[in-house]
Amino acid sequence: MRHLTLFLFAFAIAAAADPLLVTDPDGKPITQAMVTRTPLDVPEADLSDDGYAPHGVTNISAVTVTRFTDVQGKVNIAADGNYFYRVRAQGYQDLYSDTAEGILQLAPMNREQYIASYPSNVWLSRLDFGGDRELKETFQLNCAFCHQQASPFMRNERTVAQWVSIIERMNTYGARMPTDDIRPVAELLQKEYRELRENPGTVPEPRRWETHLSSIEMTEWPIGDGFSQMHDFLLHPNGYVYVGDNLFDRIYEIDTDTGEYTVYKVPHAEDARLGGILGNRFTVFPKMYNYMGVHSFAYSKKDGNIFITPSMQQALLEFDIETKEFITHDMPGGLYPHTIRTDDADRVWFTMALSSQVAMFDRSSGEFTLYDLPARSIKEWLFFKALPLLFSLDPEDRPLPSPDRESTGLPMPYGIDVAPDGGVWVARLYANDLAHIDPDSGEVTMIDFPYSGPRRLRADADGNIWVVAFQVGLLVKYDPRNKTFSEYPLPVVNELPYALNVDRDRGVVWVNGNQSDTILSFDIASESWQLYPMPRQRFFTRDIEISEEDGAVYTSNSHFPTWQSESATPTLLRITPLEE
Amino acid sequence: MRRLATIAALLCATTGWSQEWRHYGGDAGGSHYSAAAAINRDNVGQLDVAWVHRSGDADRPAELLRNSSGQATPILLPPAAGESLVYCTPFSEVIALDPGSGERRWSHDPQVNTASLRPFRCRGVAYYEETRVAQGADCRHRIFANTYDRRLLALDALSGERCADFGDSGEVSQYGREKAADQISNSSPPVVAGGLVINGSAVIDFRLAEAPRGTVQAFDSLTGELRWSFDPLQGKEGSGAANVWAPISVDESLGLVYLPTGTPSPDYYGVNRPEAIPYANSVVALALDSGEVRWHFQHVRHDLWDYDTPAQPILFEWQKDGASVPALAQPTKQGFIFVLDRRSGESLWEITEQPVPPSQIPGEKTAATQPKPIAPPPLLDPFLMPEQAWGLTPWDRGDCARQLAELDNLGLFTPLSEKLTLMFPGSLGGANWGGGAIAPGGGVLVLNVNTAPFAGRLVPNAQADAAADGKDHPTAGQRFLVPMKGTPYTVELGALVSPLGIPCNAPPWGKLMAVDLVAGQILWETALGSIHELGPFPLPFHIDWGTPNLGGGIATAGGLFFIAATMDRQLRAFDLASGETLWRYTLPVDATATPMTYTYRGRQYLVINAGGHFMFNREAGDYLYAFALPDQRRSQ
Repeated sequence: MRHLTLFLFAFAIAAAADPLLVTDPDGKPITQAMVTRTPLDVPEADLSDDGYAPHGVTNISAVTVTRFTDVQGKVNIAADGNYFYRVRAQGYQDLYSDTAEGILQLAPMNREQYIASYPSNVWLSRLDFGGDRELKETFQLNCAFCHQQASPFMRNERTVAQWVSIIERMNTYGARMPTDDIRPVAELLQKEYRELRENPGTVPEPRRWETHLSSIEMTEWPIGDGFSQMHDFLLHPNGYVYVGDNLFDRIYEIDTDTGEYTVYKVPHAEDARLGGILGNRFTVFPKMYNYMGVHSFAYSKKDGNIFITPSMQQALLEFDIETKEFITHDMPGGLYPHTIRTDDADRVWFTMALSSQVAMFDRSSGEFTLYDLPARSIKEWLFFKALPLLFSLDPEDRPLPSPDRESTGLPMPYGIDVAPDGGVWVARLYANDLAHIDPDSGEVTMIDFPYSGPRRLRADADGNIWVVAFQVGLLVKYDPRNKTFSEYPLPVVNELPYALNVDRDRGVVWVNGNQSDTILSFDIASESWQLYPMPRQRFFTRDIEISEEDGAVYTSNSHFPTWQSESATPTLLRITPLEE
Repeated sequence: MRRLATIAALLCATTGWSQEWRHYGGDAGGSHYSAAAAINRDNVGQLDVAWVHRSGDADRPAELLRNSSGQATPILLPPAAGESLVYCTPFSEVIALDPGSGERRWSHDPQVNTASLRPFRCRGVAYYEETRVAQGADCRHRIFANTYDRRLLALDALSGERCADFGDSGEVSQYGREKAADQISNSSPPVVAGGLVINGSAVIDFRLAEAPRGTVQAFDSLTGELRWSFDPLQGKEGSGAANVWAPISVDESLGLVYLPTGTPSPDYYGVNRPEAIPYANSVVALALDSGEVRWHFQHVRHDLWDYDTPAQPILFEWQKDGASVPALAQPTKQGFIFVLDRRSGESLWEITEQPVPPSQIPGEKTAATQPKPIAPPPLLDPFLMPEQAWGLTPWDRGDCARQLAELDNLGLFTPLSEKLTLMFPGSLGGANWGGGAIAPGGGVLVLNVNTAPFAGRLVPNAQADAAADGKDHPTAGQRFLVPMKGTPYTVELGALVSPLGIPCNAPPWGKLMAVDLVAGQILWETALGSIHELGPFPLPFHIDWGTPNLGGGIATAGGLFFIAATMDRQLRAFDLASGETLWRYTLPVDATATPMTYTYRGRQYLVINAGGHFMFNREAGDYLYAFALPDQRRSQ
């Protein structure tokens, strides 16, 4: 209801003004031109806690609205007040205006500008790693889960030694590029990026924006700053959206009606260290405050309290939705609480990425149950058994195995979901398998996943499991009844999908793009795709939430580091259908 | 293919380029290139001393000589101007020599006040034919020279006498003349074009919050009248400097003068200058005739690292895909080379914005991002982590790892805090005032680079030693402590070295690089300098691990690159195409200057000023060495 009010309000504002006509220099209308309205008058925010909002403080975000021109090149977006408007269209130079009425003419880009404007995925598609497909997948798995590859930041000319230095540093941050692959990858990046710069004409054009865009509106709420990383978030039944800043241990509670947001700072133990029990891996990252590592969110269907995985601690966080206080539930074991979901029995399920487990927190008993997922080898089993000993040592003294292509020792349970029948499904990213846990019997069943990189998964209304295969760029459906897999190639080249969600009511799978500056929708019945271009370049999405009420879709820009994104600020973004 | 074509262009670039050396940088665009090819890769091994000139500075009191550095690059005057080789000594004496014998023809000593503690230096003079003076009259051919104490001299090129029609009996006072030389002085030569003598200044910009302003002045080359001046601070108060201490370039065909501007004062603290100062740390293009700003390109915003624009903007023709663009290459201390269209200031390579760590100093607000070109690659990798610490033994390596682990170290552009902070590159660069050499046609820049790390911190004044007051940047192995008057802090700086005095990163600690500006790639790089004289006793063999270096190099059509600059007294010749060392000569002292070459009466000479350097804490001298091939004319 809150959203409907907002839509009507926005529509009323826009409808009151004359539509804007966007044309080329010859007066020919440009369809699917993206017009973004940004307010110029925004109250000064209280950012007095080291550049961030202090705990409990409410600020107002500079909310932007984006619409697309229709087949006549027209769009209603003008609003009363002090705004500027950016008009962007594929193949044309951006135009900035203080009005969105009358006619705005866009100047075409020259060829060099046009190619430079392409999103990263089409550039990345031209890196073939000397024909070594497996090496490219290894590179994508390890190097593209934080930031876009082949963006201008990556296409920088670097020497082989500089590439080696970067990859080695990224391995300390959390990538696991196999030792033997580092130098070959460095040499190929140096060689193939140079070839691309010298032959940009070989880069394929990105997919054109399509007519469905004129029937949607995008709203963005900028929050945090260039050092923040907005990871997962939650659309709560109370109407607020809760976004986690993974690097600054903060929860942003956003009122999407007013643009107000209140920040809650996650507490940590007095003796906690930066980087938590994992230690500070980001020793040369300019600024951070992550003692807990806010990662993933789910709410209790019983009382609405929010459960949060703090990746850097052996704990589960609960945020009381009424008192706005945090409760820390210490865990008996397990490492790296990751993706989290709740079920109808008020149980909280989440993956433990480092210890290859799934944890269940039963709210009625306050007890944790840990489900061990199987090791792939004796060596891996021994490694799991040694984890408690290893983590009793200081992070600086902790021996870790050299990464290899199988990621021995780290099968990494990642995505998780609860199917309509209550079954719990888990994807193991590095092990290329799925796990099913029967919550009643506790039985764990493993299923080989015939593609590389199952990252996050979701169940649809029929109990099918939808999985994104990260480094091979596929949407995959697993039918548990027939035990069959179906693959659906993405409609853009070289996209590396991080996550997805299913609109169970409408039969639509929404897939997170992170290399192509898009998110993508897949209609299950018709097996057809639609693309939604993001209003900012280098927009890396990791999570999707869907409003049951109207099908509005939320995502966030979670590029790491955020400063590589256009405007260098993370945003929460919502796509809403416009009323006719 | 592009690489082969580039190397071929390097080796064949002769047509239309001068074998003279009329300007400090070889030409008005600082190319450091000569079309002279008599000395080439095949015969450079026969190069030998042709003559040696000594200025006489060695007879000055030892403490003065120790506080000086001979850094001059002579110029060769045209025959109508007497065809003398003219240079300046650190004490601002201008000397004209016979280019064939090195014999002194005339000299002019402006008698500068030597009471100041500021080190003495002078990098060169400028020549101009003043067409408003009758042919044959005195001072038709003029030498313009800066003095240590902010005077601009006009001398007759034939006699060395002062030009009476210029200013007050041949000299004018420049901006800041009334201040002490330890606040404002000169290092680079002026430039002369279109009847104007244009000059920057050398300002000690780390010791005062409000140091002298970096005002650039243009004087009438005939009368010495001030024609225009340019304030890079644009009237903003609370700060100073943003001065132009590196050489200025001119493109008379475009009517533009290119200023490499420095950091606003003080270098390492910016709370007193919170507003944007867009013309600081920039290349600023002014209209030659009016001094009006035509464009600017700022390569560091809100500088807190002393990343002045250190080198002369290098003008060249960017040739790509059949098109030719008048371009400008700007090497920087932070290790980037920016390549700009010199008509508009637009970068010819895409610029990305890099993040800057926030400052921990109260009230300090760093710029959110800093620009970085997508190509060419950085001249050095600015990340230095404890695991990359280097040492001769496990003991000193371990000590370096410990030091690195204890430093504030967030990569390039980490601002100094009250805790010791890694500065890599430090204020020495990266690149520095030696600039680079570029041969016509190929777009390949060859330049020397420093790669030794520094560490520094801001010490609250209450905790600082009130008696400490370093006069300039730290000498080898020393830590430098200077109160930044007008701020709450004293800055402490020094090289990051092990207990053995060895830099904490892996060698080389100085290198030579060939960078293809058009392809955006590094063609080759090699260590520059040997450390064999830097231990407790000199070794009889070279250890080519590179040394810190100051001064620059030159390229010739003979396929050679000549450079000294190192802390090993060597003058070297490298193969331009490969970076291979083809010849070297041991000078009596280090030569922290840029050599030059010319052809005189059919014989090509190579000249270098060897004067040591106070910053390297090495022996000083007063030598000018000329080298040539054996004189075939005499033996025939």
